[in-house]
Amino acid sequence: MTLKELINKALFLEILKGMALTFKMMCSRAVTIQYPKQRRRIYAGFRGRHAFVRDPKTDKEKCIACMRCANICPSQCIYISKKKRPEDGKLYLAQYDIEALRCIYCGYCVEVCPVCALVLTEEYEYSAYTRQELYFTKEKLLENWDEFAAKQKEETYFNKFWRPDGLDHSKMPKGKREQGPVPTRRVVAQPESAPETPEASEKKETD
Amino acid sequence: MNELLGVFGSGPTATFLIELLIIIVKIAVIIAITMLHVAYATYFERKVIGHMQVRLGPMRVGPHGLLQPIADGVKLFFKEDIIPAQADRPVFQIAPFVAIFATLSSLAVIPFFDLFYLANINIGLLYLLAMSGLAAYSLIMSGWGSNSKYSFLGGLRSTAQVISYEIALAFSLVSVMIMAGSMNLIEIVMAQQEYWYGMYLVPQIVAYIVFLIAMLAETNRTPFDLPEAESELVAGYFTEYSGMRFALFFLGEYVGMIVMSSIAVVCFWGGWTLPPIVVKLIPPLAAVPGIIWFILKVYIHIFFFYWIRATVPRYRYDKLMALGWKILIPVALANVIATALVKFIF
Repeated sequence: MTLKELINKALFLEILKGMALTFKMMCSRAVTIQYPKQRRRIYAGFRGRHAFVRDPKTDKEKCIACMRCANICPSQCIYISKKKRPEDGKLYLAQYDIEALRCIYCGYCVEVCPVCALVLTEEYEYSAYTRQELYFTKEKLLENWDEFAAKQKEETYFNKFWRPDGLDHSKMPKGKREQGPVPTRRVVAQPESAPETPEASEKKETD
Repeated sequence: MNELLGVFGSGPTATFLIELLIIIVKIAVIIAITMLHVAYATYFERKVIGHMQVRLGPMRVGPHGLLQPIADGVKLFFKEDIIPAQADRPVFQIAPFVAIFATLSSLAVIPFFDLFYLANINIGLLYLLAMSGLAAYSLIMSGWGSNSKYSFLGGLRSTAQVISYEIALAFSLVSVMIMAGSMNLIEIVMAQQEYWYGMYLVPQIVAYIVFLIAMLAETNRTPFDLPEAESELVAGYFTEYSGMRFALFFLGEYVGMIVMSSIAVVCFWGGWTLPPIVVKLIPPLAAVPGIIWFILKVYIHIFFFYWIRATVPRYRYDKLMALGWKILIPVALANVIATALVKFIF
C-alpha cells in the first residue's frame, strides 16, 4: 500500500467524494414527473392507441382491405376479412380487428398502409378491465379516432409514419404521396337518428 | 402552583408524590416529542434520500407528502399481527418490546437543555452504553424466536456486529470521559465550555470519527446494515414480524438513531451550549434557548445518517468485522492512551 493509498483510506477521501456528489445531487432539481398532475410532452412519432382515420368525405374508414398491414404485422394481431359486394362484385372491408394486447406498437401497419387509413395515435391512457375492451373492431377504431381528434388543439393532424422521413417518397403509392393533413373536426354532420347500418352506408358509397 | 399541588397535602409523602407526578409528565412529554420526531424522521429520510437520488420522495399524502408518516403509522397499526406457527411465542412477542424499551429508556439520561432531563445520574455514559447493549438482546431474541433462517442469520449477524462495535464506541467515549473527568452527561457538557471552541470535537476528532462509524454500526444503518440486508436476508431479524410489532422495531431503530445522535452531540458537540467564542462575538445568540441548538445539532447528525445511506454501499461481512476489530478498536484504544497521557502530563 503506497502512502497515497494510505492517506486516501485514512481520510475517507473516496467516501467524501461520493458524499460531495450526493449532496450536489440533493441541491439539483428532481427529474420526477408527477404523473396524473403533470404529463410528459408527447413528441411527433409517438405510437399509442390504434385508430382509423375518419375520412372527411365519407365519414367512414378509408381502409381498402389490401391486407398489407395484416401481412407485415410482426405479431400478427390484425385480422381482416373482405366480402364481395353482390351488386357489383367489388371487394369491401367486412371486418377489421386489432388485438391491442398482442400489438408491439412497431408502427409498420401505419407505414405500409397505402391510403393512410390507420394511425397509432398519441393516446396512451387506455387501460381496461377486460380483454374485450382492448380488442379493437372497425367501429371501435373509428371511435378511437374521434376521441383522439376531439383532444387535438390543431385543426388538422398528420402522422409522421404516413410518410416517414428518410424514405424515397416518389416510390410510395399515390394515396400516400398525396396524403395531406386530415381534419380533426368532423366535416360531415352526424345523423340525428340512429347510426346508419353498414349496408346503407356501403350503398351510399357506391352512388 | 402550590395550591394546585395542595391536593397531595404536605409532608414527605406529598413531596414524593409531587415529584413523581412531575417525572411522569416529563416522561410523557419526552416520549411524545420523540415519537413525533421519529415519525417525521422517516419523512425527512425519504425526502433527503429522494432528492439525493434526484427524485422527489413522498408527495401525495398532504402537501408535499407531509401527512405520509401519519398514514404509514395508521396503516401499520391496523395491520394483522402474524405470529409464525413454529415460532417461540413468548420470545417472539417480547423481542420488539425489549427493542423499544432499551432505546426509549436511553432518553432518560440525555440532557436536552439546561435543566431538562429525567435523571441526572453520575454514570450517565455507562447507562447509555448498557442500554445500547440491552438492545442487542432484542435482536438475538427476535432472530431466535422467529424460527426462520433469515431471521436467525440476521439476528446472529447483528449481535456479532453490535457487540464488536460497542467496544469501539465505548473506547471513543472513554477518551471523552477522561477529558471531562466525569461520566455525568451534564458535567461532560459543562467541561466542554472551558475551551474557547466549546466542544470536544476539536481535541477528540479521532474519537469522534470512530464514534460516528461505530454509531452507524450500532444502529444497523447503511453501510453496516448487514443484519437487514434485503438482498440476502429479506429483512433480517424482523422478517417474520408484521403490523404493530414490526412498527416497534422500526421505532426502536429510529429512536436509537436519535439517541446515538444525542450522545454524539452531548459528548462531542457541546450539547445544548454554543462555543463561548461564538457567544462572545454575537451576544444575542445567548438568548436563544439551548433546546434549539440541541435539536439543530441532533438533526445534523441524523442528516449525516441519511447522507451516508444515500452514498455508501453495504460492507461485506468479513470486511465489516475486520474494520471493527483491526482498525477501529486499535485506533480508539490508542486515542484513549494518548488522551490519558496528555491529561496526565499537563
